[in-house]
Amino acid sequence: MAGAKKNLIAGLSQHQFKWLLVVPLVAFFVLFFVIPVGLLLATSFNPAKVGQVAFVADLSLDNYIRFFSRSNYLMAAGRSVFLASIVSVITLVIAYPMAFVIAKTEHPARNTFLLILVLSSMQLDMVIRLYGMMVILGDNGLINQILKGMGLTEGPVALMYNFRGVVLGLVQFSLPFMILTLVGVIKAIPPSLEEAARSLGASRRRAFMRVTLPASMPGILSGSLLVFALSISSYIVPALMGGFRVGVLPIHIYQQVAESARFQFGATIAVILFLISATAVAIYLRLGNRSSGGLA
Amino acid sequence: MERKIPLPILLMAILGFCFLLFPILIVVLAGLTTGEFLTFPPKGLSLRWVISFLNSEKYLSAFFFSFKLALMTMVVSTALGTAAALFLARSRFVGHAALRAFFLSPVVLPGVVVGFALYAFFITSGMGVSRTIWGLWIGHILYSTPYVIGTVGASLATFDVSLEEAARSLGASPMRAFRKVTFPNIAQGVQAGSIFAFIVSFGQFEVSLFLSAPNSEPLPIAMYNSLRYKFEPDAAAAGIFAITLVIASVLLTNRLVNIRRLLDRQDV
Repeated sequence: MAGAKKNLIAGLSQHQFKWLLVVPLVAFFVLFFVIPVGLLLATSFNPAKVGQVAFVADLSLDNYIRFFSRSNYLMAAGRSVFLASIVSVITLVIAYPMAFVIAKTEHPARNTFLLILVLSSMQLDMVIRLYGMMVILGDNGLINQILKGMGLTEGPVALMYNFRGVVLGLVQFSLPFMILTLVGVIKAIPPSLEEAARSLGASRRRAFMRVTLPASMPGILSGSLLVFALSISSYIVPALMGGFRVGVLPIHIYQQVAESARFQFGATIAVILFLISATAVAIYLRLGNRSSGGLA
Repeated sequence: MERKIPLPILLMAILGFCFLLFPILIVVLAGLTTGEFLTFPPKGLSLRWVISFLNSEKYLSAFFFSFKLALMTMVVSTALGTAAALFLARSRFVGHAALRAFFLSPVVLPGVVVGFALYAFFITSGMGVSRTIWGLWIGHILYSTPYVIGTVGASLATFDVSLEEAARSLGASPMRAFRKVTFPNIAQGVQAGSIFAFIVSFGQFEVSLFLSAPNSEPLPIAMYNSLRYKFEPDAAAAGIFAITLVIASVLLTNRLVNIRRLLDRQDV
């Protein structure tokens, strides 16, 4: 009897002990994530008042009406969605062959080496990577120096401080995330599938197009959604590669808040950006976060 | 014998790797150039800008500020994230997947929005941490902890719980069973997770944007502020140190946990 009682107590305390493990992080997330974002949502329903940060008990839809009735904000939203979509497609096209090569490299050391290259670039501060991009693509950058040296152009070719530059920067930013998502999925495709298609007489190209590519579809979808969410949220890339000339939502948020001190309207744009991004993330999670696990 | 990887795909992959890595190589070259800026072909290599960085008030202090902030973030993220990963690995309940997704969500949600929300919250609540290292610390913990959960979760996924149960059935207390059996088995995953937390904080830009101030400026913000106007080669020299730090961290992570396995599917 005494033993049973002891076991019961131990079981009970272990059960409670388990919950204690997660309480600190839940508390942290509620206090510093849920409440602040909730407060931001509430503030977006406050009438605009320059310099006022705190939430007041006076609700209105003014900011949302303003957002949806001004063409430049609607266009910024459209531009953001368009930009993120284009970036997803281009990133996919560039990342797929890279992921394919990584997945098919069986030599352990070579495989690890390639993964280290991808992970290192992913973990490296984006500002540093953009510094490199700007040295390459700027008006006096390497590409323009080469073009001029070869006598191909008179003046500089505008490769950045425009939409194109932002796309290039965001693709560079998103590549590692897409690659890591795709590697796991491509690895999980049994090689026997493609071999079967080949043995039935399909050409390599046809076997790839009809078997391998469709089998990687889950990874293609989740990777694209992930890249969409990441690139629509980026401030640093449009700021530096677009030189503030490409007005996407994160740029507008910063301008409203830091330059005009219009917190309520800034909060409104922030809520709209948050919703677009969260929708993409929600679909991504629904599809089943396949391979990148906690890393991406 | 047929090649495993068709040639066109291999060529495209090589181009892709160039696109990914070339900008990073350029930063290294720009930091080591002899001239005022990087030209093609390079004029020559020197340590001029590295020395200039080591003597610059602006970048060196930002570098150490980021280092300190990343260490502070690492400690808290590792503790909170490891505990949460243990919990997630040991329990099954309705909403389990949702809770995990909730903890991982900061990684993919707009950092500028979360930074702005925290900034407004710090001001409204009168916590007195807005635009200080403490406010940045809170924001960075939010963005680093998911990486700890992911990495520790991966090492827990391969740990056989029956080992801990065996220790318990032999009379070890839950705490003792954890300390003597479970922890030694996941210790390397925890260390790898803490390195991730460090490096994510060290390179964090978006969430820092609204939370930093001129006297509390992490390296990415300091570099951004100068990059808006001109290319300073000592910023590239600072970049060389950051690149070295990141590569060293990834190599160390790879020694602790097999990164090839880390990327495999995990359902923790």
